[in-house]
Amino acid sequence: MKVTRFDPNDTLIIVTARIWGPHGDKHLSLALDTAATQTHVVPEFLDEIGYGPQHGDQITSVTSAIGNEPGYMMPVSRFSALGFTLTDFRLHVHDLPETLGIQGLLGLSFLRQFDYEIRSAEGRILTSRI
Amino acid sequence: MIEAGISEPLTWTQICNQYPNEWVALVEIDWVNETDFDFRCARVVGHGTRRQQYEQARAWSSRYTSMGHFYTGRVRTPMTPLLFP
Repeated sequence: MKVTRFDPNDTLIIVTARIWGPHGDKHLSLALDTAATQTHVVPEFLDEIGYGPQHGDQITSVTSAIGNEPGYMMPVSRFSALGFTLTDFRLHVHDLPETLGIQGLLGLSFLRQFDYEIRSAEGRILTSRI
Repeated sequence: MIEAGISEPLTWTQICNQYPNEWVALVEIDWVNETDFDFRCARVVGHGTRRQQYEQARAWSSRYTSMGHFYTGRVRTPMTPLLFP
């Protein structure tokens, strides 16, 4: 079992994730979101590690308050969060407002592969592989 | 700064104090463990709005293939729920 700590005073549950690409890797902050089917990441830094829209395998559209915004699904070679690393993991690449302070959402596409317990008062997430 | 565009090693508290409410690009991150955000120190190679820090950090991407991008301010809850497909 892995234990991940988060700040229980934050308005969202923020965890650190890591994405590997052909040219390197990036650490980023994601909000754990059990209401999100996919794991979402903003597009800006993906080109730095060798990814871009040309690696997308499915065009998507997200309906927001300001209309329909385009995105795409894309596999990355390695993705790590909550102490576990998955290979050939598909991300939904889509923009988020800069003012949120996060770079995406850790959704059920990652979480459903684990049993996890969120202890809000303690600021801890206990995770084990199913 | 010890070199144009790169800071000396700083703790997260020092980074937050020097670059309040900004996005920062970090290299040489000395992580405490593999799960938490905690690190002992790191160097800053970019800061500002998200777009600015990416542009500054790009100059260092050939030297540092591993980089972290984080926000020094408080995370803000969106006006609309983060509900995605």
